[in-house]
Amino acid sequence: MPYRRRSKTSGFLSKTLKLVVLLALLGLSGKYLYKQYICFNPDKILSESVLKEKTFAVKPVEVVSPKYKIKAYLIEEKTAPIISFSFMFKGAGRASEDKDKQGISGVTAAMLTEGTRNLTSQEFKEKLENYAIGISFSSGLDDFSGSMITTSEHQEQAYALLKDVLLHPRFAEEDLTRTKLQLQKAFLLQKEHPQSILNLNFAEYLYQDHPYGRNPLGKWEDISKFNAQDLMNFMQTHLSQNNLLIGVSGDISAESLGHVLDNVFGSLPKNTAIGFVRNPEIDFKMADKNIDFAAGGQNITRFAAKGVSRNDEDFYPLYVANHIFGGSGLSSRLSKAAREEKGLTYSIYSYMSLADKSPLLQGGFSSTADKYAEVKNILQQVWNEFGQKGASDEEVKNAKEYLLSSYNLRFASVANLSEILLFMQKDNLGLDFLQKRNTYIQNISTKKVNEAAKKYFTPNGYISVNIGSFAKN
Amino acid sequence: MVNIKNIIFLGLFACLLSQPVQAKLFGAKSFTLDNGLQVVVAENHKAPIVKYMLWYKAGAVDEPNGKGGTAHLLEHLMFRGTSKVSGAMFDDVLKKNGVESNAFTSLDFTAYHHVLDISKLELVMALEADRMENLQITPENFSLERDIVYQERKQVVDNNPSAPFTESYRKILWQEHPYNRSVSGTENEIKSLTLEDVQNFYNGFYSPDNAILVLAGDIDFQTAQVLAQKYYGEIKKRPLAAKAKFSKIKPAMQSKLEMTLPQINTPRLIKTYIAPSFNTDKNAIYDLTVFSKYLGEGETSELYKDLVLKQKKTISVSSSYDYTSRSYGLFSISALPADGVSPQELEQAIDASVQKALREMNIDKINNTKEKMLSGLVYLQDNPFDAADTLGVMSAVGMSVADIENHAEHIKQVKYQDIKETATKMLSQTFVATGILNPKGEN
Repeated sequence: MPYRRRSKTSGFLSKTLKLVVLLALLGLSGKYLYKQYICFNPDKILSESVLKEKTFAVKPVEVVSPKYKIKAYLIEEKTAPIISFSFMFKGAGRASEDKDKQGISGVTAAMLTEGTRNLTSQEFKEKLENYAIGISFSSGLDDFSGSMITTSEHQEQAYALLKDVLLHPRFAEEDLTRTKLQLQKAFLLQKEHPQSILNLNFAEYLYQDHPYGRNPLGKWEDISKFNAQDLMNFMQTHLSQNNLLIGVSGDISAESLGHVLDNVFGSLPKNTAIGFVRNPEIDFKMADKNIDFAAGGQNITRFAAKGVSRNDEDFYPLYVANHIFGGSGLSSRLSKAAREEKGLTYSIYSYMSLADKSPLLQGGFSSTADKYAEVKNILQQVWNEFGQKGASDEEVKNAKEYLLSSYNLRFASVANLSEILLFMQKDNLGLDFLQKRNTYIQNISTKKVNEAAKKYFTPNGYISVNIGSFAKN
Repeated sequence: MVNIKNIIFLGLFACLLSQPVQAKLFGAKSFTLDNGLQVVVAENHKAPIVKYMLWYKAGAVDEPNGKGGTAHLLEHLMFRGTSKVSGAMFDDVLKKNGVESNAFTSLDFTAYHHVLDISKLELVMALEADRMENLQITPENFSLERDIVYQERKQVVDNNPSAPFTESYRKILWQEHPYNRSVSGTENEIKSLTLEDVQNFYNGFYSPDNAILVLAGDIDFQTAQVLAQKYYGEIKKRPLAAKAKFSKIKPAMQSKLEMTLPQINTPRLIKTYIAPSFNTDKNAIYDLTVFSKYLGEGETSELYKDLVLKQKKTISVSSSYDYTSRSYGLFSISALPADGVSPQELEQAIDASVQKALREMNIDKINNTKEKMLSGLVYLQDNPFDAADTLGVMSAVGMSVADIENHAEHIKQVKYQDIKETATKMLSQTFVATGILNPKGEN
């Protein structure tokens, strides 16, 4: 009944004005209240949060053993009564294998947990399980790595077993035969899944006759002939104090660690005789290789371009650039363009790989054959545009915030910690790296990121290898 | 956003080794809000970080027939925004704050998880609580995510050359039971899903009294209580939709699947017994946990010693047991036959070897097995992210914090005679399915 009310009212205009002013005030405060209390406001939540930022306080120290001067980085960490060792023999990985001994590092790694001079394979494994000790070895592209985890309670047994393994591995005929048979199956399994077939072809196409192009399992013709002496030769020439790096974390003091280092690693040979591994020569102009494979659900692509080593001055700018281009999560440029906005793929990504002789900027995606060409075009467009125009200030700011805020996530377990300490040494990052790392990130400017984008995301400057069903033209 | 079926628990307890029995496994504590949300907290102050998991006790088994993939598609759409927070904003805010977020759907559950710096906890709580009640699914986002889960199925399932075998095997194992489903849904099911299907699932199951929040890391119990109340306390429960009805499995039946696939290069064999779980027979689960370890977990187990080392019929054999499910559990034995040994011959050898292990089981052997299982439990105090995974799956099947924390005590108390009885009963009186996958050109 608006008419009646209005007709009763004198001074209608002034009343209306008052109402308008009142409503406007209400509206303004309402908008403020809405923004402040009803609408989602991340900054307000964070500023009022009861849990504030803390730094991860534990600092690494360098331990030098009293007798043999063996070095290790240590983080003493007592949350749980456990100790983790990560160590590597630098340069003793697969790329260092002789041409007719392909697979020797992997077979040696497998055989090192098959007993010692005094313990059969079964006796050795029983001891590991009874004392809850984990010992394992693996051969990477560049380095030969080992790890040991033990409870504080059984650490003496753990050190004794590790020492025994490194000095007096058993390498029994029977265990070697079994290991070979397992590898023989691994060669068969390796050629079933299209992703795995692609990985083999990718390395071969990229590196050709360089050792990086070899099958990571080795060569069956070589492996089938290995004997215990071959394995011993590999150890004597590749595993020494000279190329040994060690990271330790957990419930152990610097002083105790010094003695453990002497005891466990002190009897290793002083020097290695590892052959020189040359740098591969790759021309990163757009090249495409298709492998026909009808059985899979999708076509799969892997791509690679020139990258940078960990100590290169372009490392951090490219690290930030890569995060924006194709780094983890759904908000990278690649993910937004191909997945979030078009629904053409479940995953598309890029990452930096740091092989000693061939650091790369790599990535991949998979998509059904009907959508595949479109994703491939998107990759090319996003790549070229990123190289030419670079990233915005906002993107760089967000990427840096991510890299800073997610930093502490890597300190979840003592095994992670000892692994980080190991790589700090491999990459010569310095003992104070954990304290300095965030400053390195903070100091990266948009300009630096975009210079890196221009330098590394060159027009069509990547090689891609693809597997699946391709339209013939 | 991957599909897993309780892989976490198996990984932890099967691989980790131990130390004289301790009272504390994770040192977890639990409380429940008035609206029914259960909260489980495990403190670990090593680093200023936390794992945040929100488990909904609804998964693929709760989908209507023919609507396979609904739970999983909803999981994806939970990242596409609410009436308060747009999807792009959700992702941008989390990323900017260094939060690693993901989710998975299994037959029994759907879980959303984040690892984050402790200073960002309230932000994640606000976002996760918001999408418990305010999810907004637009038709555009619906059709985009349906395309994405289709691609996901193609990548994760169909790219795998043994997928047709795995999918058929699940069917012959579970027959009419809802565990016969594929979490991703079949291609046709995915394509036929509607926005309404997904919305109904959300409305029916994403209620606080059907959820568990797990926090593991640098947070104390009191703060967790205050914050849980602040962000989740006001959320009203909604009437729950009807959950899956689990049909009874007929005991002492067998089924068999033999398949030849073109891209397969070497044969494999799997035998699976439909076994007791925490929800079908609590009393049996620790017997079978110890039995599986004794029988076939690791390279000092009976099957490994007999079939790999002595008889050389296989190059690898292992058993596994999973009791963390809403319906039945699973006891499996899988193996790769050695060259010149047919899968059929290996199956016979396995059966004989299992019987032999059962016969030769004695108190000393079982004590040694238990010792191995107990000596490494202290490792569970190390990584808060792993702690959250294990606490989550165990809580989600209905285990209390006391049940979980007393794991060592349960293992200690298992008696040799009970193991023998329970294992004999499972091996002779439950449903078993044998699967043989052959490479082309062999039978």
